[in-house]
Amino acid sequence: MAIKTRRLRDIPLAFAMLGPSLLVLLTFVLYPLGKAVWLGQQTCDVQGKNCKSVGWGQYTNVIKSDQFQHALWVTVKFALITVPIGLALGVGLAVLADKQLRGMRFFRTIFSSTIATSVAVASLMWLFLLQPSIGVLANLGWLHDIFPVIKEPGLLKDSGTALWSVGISSIWANLGFTFILVTAGLQSVPKEMHESAYVDGAGGWMRFTNITLPLISPTLLFTTVVLTSRAFQAYGEMDLLTNGGPIPQDSTTTVTYLIYGSSSIIKNNDGLQAAVAVLLFVILLALSALQFRGFGKRVHYGS
Amino acid sequence: MKTPNKSRFLLAGLTASALLFASCGGGGSSSIVDSGNTEAPATDGSSAPTAAPTTVATPLASLPPCDTTALDSVTETIDITFWHGMNGDLEDALTALTAEYNASQTKVNVSLENQGGYEQTLDKYLQSSQDSRPEMVQAPEYAVQVMGDTDSNVPVGACIESAAYDTSDFLPKALNQYFTEGVQWSMPFNVSDPVLYYNKKVFEAAGLDPNKPPTNMAEVRTMSQAIVDSGAAAFGLSLDTGADSGGGWFLEQWFAKLGELYSDNDNGRLAPSTKVNFDSQVGIDLLTDLQSLVNDGLAYNVGDNASGQDALLKLADPESAAAMTISTSAALGTVLTTVQGGLIPGITTDDIGVGPMPAPGDADAPGAIVGGASLWIVNHDDPAKAAAVWDFISFLITAESQSTWAAATGYVPVRSSALEVGAIAEKYTTDPRFKVAYDQLLQAADSPASLGAILGPQREIRTLSARAIATVLQGGDVAAALTDAATQANALLSAYIAANQ
Repeated sequence: MAIKTRRLRDIPLAFAMLGPSLLVLLTFVLYPLGKAVWLGQQTCDVQGKNCKSVGWGQYTNVIKSDQFQHALWVTVKFALITVPIGLALGVGLAVLADKQLRGMRFFRTIFSSTIATSVAVASLMWLFLLQPSIGVLANLGWLHDIFPVIKEPGLLKDSGTALWSVGISSIWANLGFTFILVTAGLQSVPKEMHESAYVDGAGGWMRFTNITLPLISPTLLFTTVVLTSRAFQAYGEMDLLTNGGPIPQDSTTTVTYLIYGSSSIIKNNDGLQAAVAVLLFVILLALSALQFRGFGKRVHYGS
Repeated sequence: MKTPNKSRFLLAGLTASALLFASCGGGGSSSIVDSGNTEAPATDGSSAPTAAPTTVATPLASLPPCDTTALDSVTETIDITFWHGMNGDLEDALTALTAEYNASQTKVNVSLENQGGYEQTLDKYLQSSQDSRPEMVQAPEYAVQVMGDTDSNVPVGACIESAAYDTSDFLPKALNQYFTEGVQWSMPFNVSDPVLYYNKKVFEAAGLDPNKPPTNMAEVRTMSQAIVDSGAAAFGLSLDTGADSGGGWFLEQWFAKLGELYSDNDNGRLAPSTKVNFDSQVGIDLLTDLQSLVNDGLAYNVGDNASGQDALLKLADPESAAAMTISTSAALGTVLTTVQGGLIPGITTDDIGVGPMPAPGDADAPGAIVGGASLWIVNHDDPAKAAAVWDFISFLITAESQSTWAAATGYVPVRSSALEVGAIAEKYTTDPRFKVAYDQLLQAADSPASLGAILGPQREIRTLSARAIATVLQGGDVAAALTDAATQANALLSAYIAANQ
């Protein structure tokens, strides 16, 4: 009883202390979120004013529309391309660089360098490499003899290769981020375990699968979740490399491109944009939850 | 701690599966642009309204007034902010002109604010409240209807009337581009139009006269055939499907050249358009022609990269170049600089030819419609501010300023008297290539059809026609592609009218 009254007495103090962050959260997260959900069932004029409710059916219509379904499928494919490959490459490079050898700092710097490269810079670089008429890759004779698509119509302009090409540029750009996270994870793996396993006769691969992987699994889970949500929110690459195209197949029109893209047909429709954005939010939330549930059990957080 | 988490995750998971299920099992074919119409009245998307709207021409009297004498009594300097979308050399030229204006008088001080580009300027303007909008804004040619519908401007026409400003030497096409429903909304400033770029060396090698570029698509075909047959280049024409070029803007140009209305209600100039006409026989013939050029190996489709450079870069392809392409006249300066930099071995700037944009079929139609952007006065209910903006605008469009501006940028001067003074007089004599874009605009602007369309969702509709053209150039059925695009465009138009009336 005494504890309860004390708790009650603490409530004002608790709120006073939570106040500032609560205020920030309310103003900058909850209010805009609620506003976006509400806007998703409205239609507005070009200035985003005079909004009229057209009913929650707008959400169902968006879900049913070809454009949304297509964009969602492209986004899922993009995540399936970029997340596993990006993670595998990041882990691979981090394990390679996790050795006490001379000059390793140099390689670590190189491997993590892409984190300092903005999406815009990275995309422009890839654009220059892949431009079919004068790009460097497109005009390597032997290369386009093997892969004619590099020259005609160009990797970014063929509906079959565009998403993969954008994906590769995205993997490259995110590699530094993954590398740094995994390297940090690796450094928390006690050396003694490796040493004793080595003494017991365990080979490199065995030690990697039985010691390293389980011990860095929290890092891997975190990286997977972050990479997935990055993949679902990727925009700059599509905007700069392909404009969501090639059209009419819309091979790289992801959900975010459908919302913001300069060649999106809903780019001046605030209501539809909000509806798609809210749906993306729900999907991402659910996906992260599933990832934490699904992989969470297998993650070893130490004791 | 764990239990609430579990149920939350479960809920989220269920929602996700429901969403995925709904989206996969949806079936049927429905467009997202129809969904804005669900319960909105009077926007029955499937049967677009055919009757002309009852809206009559907006009289100038019902719009904010402009008193150009309001500046006379002002004693303190008025600060004017100007949002623009000019970059690189264009921004430098604009900065120089503005500095010249600021130094020339004490009543008005203009500060430039670069918004990054046309799209960004327009988006920011539309999303801002009236108070946070600048005094003056530059808006692209496709935004006339949208800008007019914001009810946020002092029409330039009111200032022209108040100042009894003489526009008799203006290019009628440039001025009329921004004239709808009886109102001169804004002042043309940077004007461009599409021209034909071609490689004279290839023309010579193919036995063609390097000083006689094709004037219509029929000639493009015969010349391309000669070029391909002789092996002078791999392709005759390089085409693109960008919304700002081959996929959208050029289609509007071709309709205007033929004197065909692109949309109803006199191209949206009498009242807002309710339907587009590009799915007519005119459009079908045009696209069938383009498709056969590609199918016969005479033209190459570089696709939809909106930077607009790919079509031009195809002329520089070391392995399979094209001899010609259509691109905006505003690119001429950059093209010459790039060629001078040695992009194409053995080609000098003199080998780049410029001709009028080829007309459809075998038509003789050298005209063009206006691209680029115009200057808008933003209404802040302050006569002195509006008068100050007008003062700056009238400086930017003097013959001298337009001459300087055009010579520095490659844009077309908006008035003929600019050709007699300063830098552009010399440039047009020494390098007639720059004058091609100007000459195209001298052609008569006697009908709404020849001025091109003004549409609310013009940008989005260009995106739709671009998809149709891309489909066609990849071998798709012409009529089906155009009908599909027109249906969606009409749905956009009726949704726009419903939301903005």
